[in-house]
Amino acid sequence: MSTVADRPQPRGIARLRGLELQEYALALVVVALFVTGAILKPDTFPTWDNIRNMLTQASVIGVLAVGMTFVIATAGIDLSVGSMVAAAGVFGGIMVDPEGGSLLFIVSAIAFATLMGTVNATAVAYGRVVPFIATLAMFSIGRGVALLLNDKLPVGLLDLNGGSFGDPAAFSLLWFGTGRVLGLPVSVYVFLGVTVAGWVLLNRTRYGRYVVAVGGNREAARIAGVPVRRVIFSVYALSGLLAGIATVLLCARLGSASPVSGNLYELDAIGAVVIGGTSLAGGRATIVGTFLGVLTFALIFSLMTQLNLSTEVQQVTKGAIVLGAVLLQRPESRW
Amino acid sequence: MTFKRRATALAGAGLLALGVAACGDSETKTVTVSAAPASGTADDSGRKVTIIASVPPTDHGWLGAISKNAKAAADKFQDVEFSLLEAADADSQAQQIEQAIARKPDALVVLPQDGEALTPVAQKAERAGIPVVNIDRLFSKPDAATSTILGDNYQIGVLAAGYIAEQLKCQGNVVEIQGLAGISVTEDRSKGFTDELKKRCPNGGVKVVARQPGDFNPDTGLKVMENILQAQKKIDAVYTHDDDMAQGVVQAIRNAGRDDEMFLTGVGGSQDAMKQIAAGGLYRATFLYNPNMAASAVNMARLIAKGEGFPELVPPEVPRQVVVPAATVTKENVAEYEEYAFN
Repeated sequence: MSTVADRPQPRGIARLRGLELQEYALALVVVALFVTGAILKPDTFPTWDNIRNMLTQASVIGVLAVGMTFVIATAGIDLSVGSMVAAAGVFGGIMVDPEGGSLLFIVSAIAFATLMGTVNATAVAYGRVVPFIATLAMFSIGRGVALLLNDKLPVGLLDLNGGSFGDPAAFSLLWFGTGRVLGLPVSVYVFLGVTVAGWVLLNRTRYGRYVVAVGGNREAARIAGVPVRRVIFSVYALSGLLAGIATVLLCARLGSASPVSGNLYELDAIGAVVIGGTSLAGGRATIVGTFLGVLTFALIFSLMTQLNLSTEVQQVTKGAIVLGAVLLQRPESRW
Repeated sequence: MTFKRRATALAGAGLLALGVAACGDSETKTVTVSAAPASGTADDSGRKVTIIASVPPTDHGWLGAISKNAKAAADKFQDVEFSLLEAADADSQAQQIEQAIARKPDALVVLPQDGEALTPVAQKAERAGIPVVNIDRLFSKPDAATSTILGDNYQIGVLAAGYIAEQLKCQGNVVEIQGLAGISVTEDRSKGFTDELKKRCPNGGVKVVARQPGDFNPDTGLKVMENILQAQKKIDAVYTHDDDMAQGVVQAIRNAGRDDEMFLTGVGGSQDAMKQIAAGGLYRATFLYNPNMAASAVNMARLIAKGEGFPELVPPEVPRQVVVPAATVTKENVAEYEEYAFN
């Protein structure tokens, strides 16, 4: 695979240009999908209500995908986020069952997911386990833990509502899923907040430069004085933390924590990151691209359900659009 | 030519079947003889029988109830040594059963992940003289099981269509949230529903406006229903294929504040569903798909292993197939069924 470094241009600028091009191309895909939806389903697709719905649905994968962007930027991968979501949810659930408040659920779910992320982080950064294997192990461990914690049963969380359905009390658990502030669901604010924070962290801090440097060329980064191990450790821990936040958003909408939830979420998160333009080989990352990738998935899913397409057709279409989006945004100069 | 070949094949198959039958017979006889001296005392005849059950991963309410009921049934008998195996997929389940055959149990109880895929290994067990009791998902060959206990998925669809047609007086928009796409349980529950709806409402007044799989999973159910609620401005009833998954669908409807507009039905008979049905409101009915069939299977495996047959039938034979009927559970009769609810 040829990299930007092979070309004579100043490296930083070339990288930016390539990425910006990809971001524009993907933005075009998002617009095209929206327009297609508006033409096919003019009454129900381009409505404010549906836009809000799509953003809400995107928020869980969106939060996971921001963490995944950092992991992939270091040339790593985190296959365990879906299992972490299930395990953290059930853990939070048994902490508040039968007595406990929303805050206890939120804190314990996030803490548990962060802990699991830290195990990944330790294995990869200090145990020198290949990320694919370490997180594949956690994929299995997490799902097993989710099933073991409450004897395979889901835990109901509706008692943490603090209000009636559709109108949860402020700062209750369900408020994070369905409560609204200025017309937008709270979960969408969380998603946007995480995205903006991720963007700042990646593009405006020394830490962000370290992350990309470690993914680009680990040896060079080490010689340049980047604390490589600590950086690698941090991205897996961050991925765990964000899996915890995603857990809260999912459980808040669902009103329960199920050991079978979060199934294959890691693939959606990785898919969104990759069609966003972040390189699986590391060294190139874009939060804006990831955000657009997440929107692409949300649009596809919403449109296909609205068109009442069968699962088989949905699977083929989703795959084709992902492939098409990635092909479309590949700058020719990179071949 | 082809006819000739087929005839030869048939003859061969017939011979094979005879051979198997003969083997089976002698097997049964020896069992009967050895069990005979103690047959006077009811449960504790002294002779222990070992039963191994193999089921898919019990990460789902109904499957969880299957394994619990099987264990509970086995615990009731002091002469049964019982072990339960769980397998992640059809392939590992086949391997697991291979290993179980090597342990030479007196009977096997199998809820196959995929009936078609596990038929050969079940046939192998039968040929090795280990009777197999098949539950829920049917093997594709009759010689793969000594006895079969099934729920009636087609009838569940029929009952659901009957209930919904009656409630809506054959007029309205219906959404169907299916189970996992591509398995017979889903197909049967859907086909029974479609067929019966046509029969009940030939005028076509009940329209299925959306039909999507929710994978028996509450968070997929939630997401799919959220989108359907966006697309359909008027929904009168929702037929879901499963009580666990229905919880996600219920939540989507409530989050959208549209719980007065429609009602919903489930399948299975979970405690949660029954509680909501008793309370009244959105959740109006469920169709019992009784996980007690696992207990029946263990009982039957024990009887076959001991060569005793059913007490009320002429021993030592047991029925080749038992179909457990589905039942409609509504607010009116939920009290009768609460004892069968699983969580």
